[in-house]
Amino acid sequence: MPENVVIDVVVVGAGPAGMTAASCLAQSGVRVLVLDEHTAPGGQVYRSVEKVTDKRSADLNVLGSHYRNGSKLVERLHSSGAQYWPGTSVWEISAAGEPTLAVGVVRDGRVRLIQAGHIILATGAMERPTPFPGWTLPGVMTVGAAQTLLKSSGLVPDGRIAVAGSGPLLYLYVSQLIKAGKKPQVILDTRPRASLQAKLSVLAALTVDPASMFRGLGWMREVRREVRVRERVHRLRAGGVEKLSSISYESCDRQFTDDVDLLLVHDGVIPNTWLAMSAGCRHHWHVQQRCWVPTITGAGQTSRQSVSVVGDAAGIMGADASVLHGEAVASEVIACLEGKQQNSAGNAAHPLLVRQQRLLRRCLDQFYPPAQEFELPPDDETIVCRCEEVTAGQIRQVATLGCVGPNQGKAFTRCGMGPCMGRKCGVTVSRLIAEHHGLGMDEVGHYRIRPPVKPITVAQLAELEIDTDAHTA
Amino acid sequence: MRHLDIAVIGGGLLGSAFAYGLSVDGGCVGLIDEGDHAIRTARGNFGLVWVQGKGLSMPDYARWSLRSAYAWTPFSEQLHAQTGISVEYHRPGGFYVSLDEQEFADNLALLKQLRNEAGEDGYDYEIVERSALREQLPEIGPAVPGATYCPHDGHANPLKLLRALQEGFQLNGGVYTPRAKVTRIAPVTAGGFEIHCDGGHRFGCDKLVIAAGHGSVELGHHLGMEIPIFPVQGQVVVTERAQMTMAYPTNYVRQTDDGNYLLGPSARDVGFNDETETTTLRDITRRCTTAFPHLKHLRVQRTWAALRIMTPDGFPVYLQSEAYPEAFSFSCHSGVTLAAVHATDVSRWVLDGQIPSRYRCFHPERFNVPA
Amino acid sequence: MFRRRDRVSDPVTIWFCDRAIEAVADDSVAAALLAAGISCFGRTPVSAAPRAPFCMIGNCFDCLVEIDGETNLQACLVTVRDGMRIRPHSGSRLGDSEGRT
Repeated sequence: MPENVVIDVVVVGAGPAGMTAASCLAQSGVRVLVLDEHTAPGGQVYRSVEKVTDKRSADLNVLGSHYRNGSKLVERLHSSGAQYWPGTSVWEISAAGEPTLAVGVVRDGRVRLIQAGHIILATGAMERPTPFPGWTLPGVMTVGAAQTLLKSSGLVPDGRIAVAGSGPLLYLYVSQLIKAGKKPQVILDTRPRASLQAKLSVLAALTVDPASMFRGLGWMREVRREVRVRERVHRLRAGGVEKLSSISYESCDRQFTDDVDLLLVHDGVIPNTWLAMSAGCRHHWHVQQRCWVPTITGAGQTSRQSVSVVGDAAGIMGADASVLHGEAVASEVIACLEGKQQNSAGNAAHPLLVRQQRLLRRCLDQFYPPAQEFELPPDDETIVCRCEEVTAGQIRQVATLGCVGPNQGKAFTRCGMGPCMGRKCGVTVSRLIAEHHGLGMDEVGHYRIRPPVKPITVAQLAELEIDTDAHTA
Repeated sequence: MRHLDIAVIGGGLLGSAFAYGLSVDGGCVGLIDEGDHAIRTARGNFGLVWVQGKGLSMPDYARWSLRSAYAWTPFSEQLHAQTGISVEYHRPGGFYVSLDEQEFADNLALLKQLRNEAGEDGYDYEIVERSALREQLPEIGPAVPGATYCPHDGHANPLKLLRALQEGFQLNGGVYTPRAKVTRIAPVTAGGFEIHCDGGHRFGCDKLVIAAGHGSVELGHHLGMEIPIFPVQGQVVVTERAQMTMAYPTNYVRQTDDGNYLLGPSARDVGFNDETETTTLRDITRRCTTAFPHLKHLRVQRTWAALRIMTPDGFPVYLQSEAYPEAFSFSCHSGVTLAAVHATDVSRWVLDGQIPSRYRCFHPERFNVPA
Repeated sequence: MFRRRDRVSDPVTIWFCDRAIEAVADDSVAAALLAAGISCFGRTPVSAAPRAPFCMIGNCFDCLVEIDGETNLQACLVTVRDGMRIRPHSGSRLGDSEGRT
């Protein structure tokens, strides 16, 4: 990599959105640097796609045809002229008041600030927190975690497995697992009875994007044929000493207890907003998707000048829409760098496709609503903040004391003060406070996120060198 | 409209201490507070209960700080007994560590001058050279020439303090109203005040305490009070938890009961900007690792920036409205150190209706500012 | 909890405490430890409760470990190297074999 190269745009994240935005920009002559905390591009949906394609092609059949699309995106990135730094975590975006826009990174144990003209956050999604009694035990993981282990290391679960929650990823993963020769003992579907609205939305989505819908319905059908499914699951609890050994739950008015070695949970995905929030970008509560999303104008412009978001980080849209969005945001950023007014026609790329994706998304949101009990854990003993082990009861207690927001709650309970900085508890805490006081989520707000958003040590911060010119040397 | 005997505006370290202190004897006391996303300076407090080095050119302030340090023990015990919350107050004495010979010389000169000014009332301090310092602070860095030790210094957990004050206040029957930003204070002809808030809350009260941090400036104007305060940004670096090894608080670093280290201080004049700034954070860690190299390997858990309530000479601003003597306003940057006297002495002043003349030294008239 | 679908090609040896573990050259540390049956990557500072990876994408921080003396590394983001020495993350650093009190 040449030294002393000026960077026009930093892209954080190398999933489908980040790869596409970076490729478009680089191919237009923009000097792009992609920062990725993983060791190879692909994000989560196309995790390890290069390695699997090259070295584990048998797994391609397991992972499915859609996964293969990742290869094209990776090839495009590599040939686009964009610089790519894997194994690099971003811990800070400089504050709005500072003279130059800079990104704080950790790479090979060294911390530095990289200056750029524009930043695109392609930080993707994370799984919605699913607090329930016992969820912190070793042996309880997310479905996404298990899928990552399958993609990146060819690992499959061993022993007795239960899968709980809902959402397309849950069914996709179980169908992949079945192809890999392993079946869970049981799937615990936490959805309530499907509303008429949800059923109608399925029909609507079938008309606009039959391919995706048939694929998704195909996974469900296949899985339900092979694996026992319990419906309308409530009061999920995990038990064990030092690690998971059993689960209990209710389904259709019956009580069950199962011995299990691994419980995989999934209740949809939400945008990974931590870096955007730490950069001071305004966020609002997306009522339908039940998550925080950045407030965006145009294609991906946040409330902070020179900071854009793209892909799932802007609002859950899925891999295919993320690619489209990547193209649109790249166009917008190019216009911005050239000082041009954004041409809205050029911006609204593929309007029919965008509409299609939106309808599909709405259908998925209605067909797979988040479980009420994960959003608002009924048992006071449920740990909400995994890092500091603060319970739902303790949050309710401080809400009663008068805490009207998660930051006061944090001050009073330490909830959110651990290394995950509220990624696993933030939404739950805000929901509990909102519910107690009868407030809307925008009134309650979210945690104030401060750097470092990824771990750095005191020594690394003390040794920080700041480039005084816009160089990457 | 809700009637209160005493209304306290502001739920930070000052307002909560006054509300708590007043709620013991003050009849129906209300604490009116903004919401979660206001300035909330209290959340950035370092936690020192500190005496040494204070009061240059105003020995009364040194005495006031010392008085509060003595009052802190019964204050924290009372809070604990009533609420079950320990605010983790410890007074093992504290060290003012110097990072080089110049700083050491400057500090010694300051303390000497303070002693001269205070005369008989001066507080104790000791000069501790490097070799002796290592016995008390074994992790002290090799570059440190020495420190000064004052047995009256200590530290506490400011966030637990806030919670304990809130709980004690409510246990005493106090009424807490959050999400109520005061928009207007209107004196009532017959006496007392009407307080109007956004969101529709309205209160009537006989007495009023304005302790709203930076918000006090604007609120003071409603009653003809000039409160000369302005923001000075301070940043803090908080590390992950570590095994307890630091038995004493210092001016640069202290270790909390949970094991986290707090690294500071810093001061920037950036208006109402409460964002952290990277070079400031870096400089904080450089200074603190010069003082205590063992901190280097700890993870930075989070950083923080808060807007101190600073007065032109750094000393408190306490006043009573000339036109409306039932209204008081109190502002300072040492919300933790002075919490004990705020909850006791100052609350008493409000109940008695008068700031004692010996505390006139804290009146803003000293800045030639009309009251 | 997990097993490998394929035989180990490109093997490397890593160490978890005093235990030698066979891993594949481009495994994440988390994957290698899970494949070896490790179910406790560290303990929490509050109650010394055992923790293992939860999300595998760098968001839960339950997989924090110490590697070759460097602490606070997320095992799901670090690739194994031959000879790597991994220790569990202690909730209270610098110390305390009994866990944080």
